[in-house]
Amino acid sequence: MAKFDHKVLVVGSGAGGAMAAYTLAKLGHKVLMLEAGRDYNPKTESPMFKRNSEAPLMGAGNKDKNFGFYDATVDGGWQVPNEPYTEAEGTDFYWWRARMLGGRTNHWGRYSLRFSEHDFKAKSRDGHGADWPFEYQDLAPWYDKTEAIVGVCGTNTGLDDMPPSSEGILQPPPKPRVPELLVAAAAKKLGIPAVPMHRAVLTRSIDDRMACFYATPCGHGCSIGAAFQTTTSLIPMAKKTGNLEVITDAMVKSVSVDDNGRVTGVTYVDKKTATEHAIGADVVILAASACESARIMLNSKSAAHPNGVANSSGQVGRNLMDSTGAWLGAQIPALKGRPRYNEDGHTANHLFIPWWGHKAQAKGELAFPRGYHFEISSGFGQPGSGVSGDKQGYGPALKQQVRDAYGSYVGFALRGEMLPNKDTYMEIDPEVKDKWGIPVAKFHFKWSDRELKQIEHGLQTAKAILETMGAKVGTLPSPEKAISKGGEIIHEVGTTRMGSSPKESVTNQWGQTWDCDNLFVMDAGVFASNPHKNCTLTIMTLAMRNSTWLSEQIAKGAL
Amino acid sequence: MHHHDRNNPYQYKSGMTRRESLKWLGLLAAGSAVTLSGGCSKALEAGVADKSNVGHWPALNIKPVTATGYGTDPNMIMPPQSPWPLTLSAAQLTLVAILADWIVPREGDIPSASELEVPAVIDEWVSAPYEGQQRDRITILHALAWIDDEAQLRFKAKFAALSRAQQQAIIDDIAYYSDDTPEQFKRIGKAFWRFKELVLGAFFCSPEGCKDIGYLGNVPIAGDYPGPNAEAKAHLDKVLDELGLSSYAYQD
Repeated sequence: MAKFDHKVLVVGSGAGGAMAAYTLAKLGHKVLMLEAGRDYNPKTESPMFKRNSEAPLMGAGNKDKNFGFYDATVDGGWQVPNEPYTEAEGTDFYWWRARMLGGRTNHWGRYSLRFSEHDFKAKSRDGHGADWPFEYQDLAPWYDKTEAIVGVCGTNTGLDDMPPSSEGILQPPPKPRVPELLVAAAAKKLGIPAVPMHRAVLTRSIDDRMACFYATPCGHGCSIGAAFQTTTSLIPMAKKTGNLEVITDAMVKSVSVDDNGRVTGVTYVDKKTATEHAIGADVVILAASACESARIMLNSKSAAHPNGVANSSGQVGRNLMDSTGAWLGAQIPALKGRPRYNEDGHTANHLFIPWWGHKAQAKGELAFPRGYHFEISSGFGQPGSGVSGDKQGYGPALKQQVRDAYGSYVGFALRGEMLPNKDTYMEIDPEVKDKWGIPVAKFHFKWSDRELKQIEHGLQTAKAILETMGAKVGTLPSPEKAISKGGEIIHEVGTTRMGSSPKESVTNQWGQTWDCDNLFVMDAGVFASNPHKNCTLTIMTLAMRNSTWLSEQIAKGAL
Repeated sequence: MHHHDRNNPYQYKSGMTRRESLKWLGLLAAGSAVTLSGGCSKALEAGVADKSNVGHWPALNIKPVTATGYGTDPNMIMPPQSPWPLTLSAAQLTLVAILADWIVPREGDIPSASELEVPAVIDEWVSAPYEGQQRDRITILHALAWIDDEAQLRFKAKFAALSRAQQQAIIDDIAYYSDDTPEQFKRIGKAFWRFKELVLGAFFCSPEGCKDIGYLGNVPIAGDYPGPNAEAKAHLDKVLDELGLSSYAYQD
């Protein structure tokens, strides 16, 4: 390490950390990255073309591998071995973590939808939550740059909820499949659009990453680099500049400051030797994930920062938001026994339903303030431990029921915007420490009526679309029953939010903490709100924009 | 009485590498010899079921599996061959094989469940140290014991020793679980339904099962994804027409 004289230290190698490191390395700055998990190489470790029958338990999930045997997540999931978290009484919070190079980008859904001006200035419109401290126009060119490097397929739909990418940025989307086409027709009859999803999956090769060959689920990791993860793209690209070094198994405990409260580096635990190390840096970027970065900051108390580093606002850990989630599905009788063809595609939505209610909301016709979208689950998927059908009887007649039911179900997964509320936040548990001696996060979580009303609307809409396709849906569950648990959608954001005032936010629009000019946050903690459109694209876009600004500050001698 | 439905089913090797298949073969060979000796006599003595006054339910003392799982970082390229100790006895495996072949018999060129080592998958499943599988373990061990008890009560022999007609008489009573199932077959009907699910899952996820169900994916495509073929498109058009949705059909 002695020979590598880093200027910037980045904590985390996921979407935010890798994009920050890549951007700074490209601009000529020496970057040292610390990752709490192990080294990971998708080129040799991704289980491509594996069948469920080759895996223990037909690939089914369990407490070791929550999303199934082949899910790319290493040493993580809803629980991380030896690294617990706690919940306040009455709180049921799920916190998905991965302990591996590339973090959660190795298995994410790759849905990559832009936030819009409508999203960034929602408080100005309806009075809830907080506005973001910039305009969509400020971010638009950075969305273009990010989409170009990441590789996003989709189209410019011209719809309210989908700001266009510049000409030539998006790659062509794959053709829609039969159940999606049926959903699109049924939805259209109800005045609801279904359009190509935007997804960080290459349909055209770029650099040494190949175009998708439409097989083997992206969540398993992608050895050919078609499905975006930082371990096949930003991290190796940054290393190629010679300006990035990475230390894995390095669990950051706290940010160090001098007597004036200025950041001097971090303290981390080397998990292999269980020893603690201090490491200096002129600039520190936290990108450990929203709640992990907030945990580090709250665990960094000093005379200058008695409530945790850069927490004079008291907002660190506050404003925690996830996406709302609910699911409704049914068998479509007309799809029973339908003709077979290869329906893998890029293994996720080719079409989806974006939020279509902007005008209705503006007219005051809806009982909830913020939007949602539907992802469509359907198709001839690879058989696993679960089978569909009534499963009556035995022998050939039973098998025929399963064959007929195969590919005849359509489900709608709602993903919606949650608003911040005072009962939902994280803090540090005063008692519990993890294996490394680091005090753990404690969660408080509540949905409000605003989310429940949104879920109710979504369930009714999904039911209407299913019935238009000829399905029998039956009685809907109550929104309280249907809504996901906090954290379960794995879109946790807001715990170090950005804003225009040091009193109400933790960072400025550049992710620079108000209290320490050389401490930045570049994960979803900085989100001022949580639009329903999935976090990762915006995490990367902000990280690129804000580390470019950071580079300018270094060049000016300000940092 | 011998197993009429098991004419050397395990000689068929399809090229699939279902894990543990060799071990299973060994156990089955042993099981054929001891089928009538092992078992659940205690359960039979216990007789009457707990929840319902009708019918019987075995009183088994099932010890929880205490093995460890495969952990949070298993090798996915070369999955663990034997992630935990298998727990089914030879007699239980034989019974699983016979029942699995009632559920998924050979159909022409399509192998039966036991030909595809489905019993080994069931053994791995009920022996696994995870919560869901441990619940299934209790369900399925009781179901297996109930079926042998029922065979004893009706025909004075273990299920494996019954004629096909006798076996079918029992299966006919338990394989149609619904609200209308007679009270004495409700509990076993529900348990057997879960057993059927696992057998069907284990069959259909095998390469032969994928072929049978018509799964055509997991193969690389050069160039753009082609979308639905002509037959699938024609079917969709018909469906749209029948549902009155033709005029709303998706346009690129």
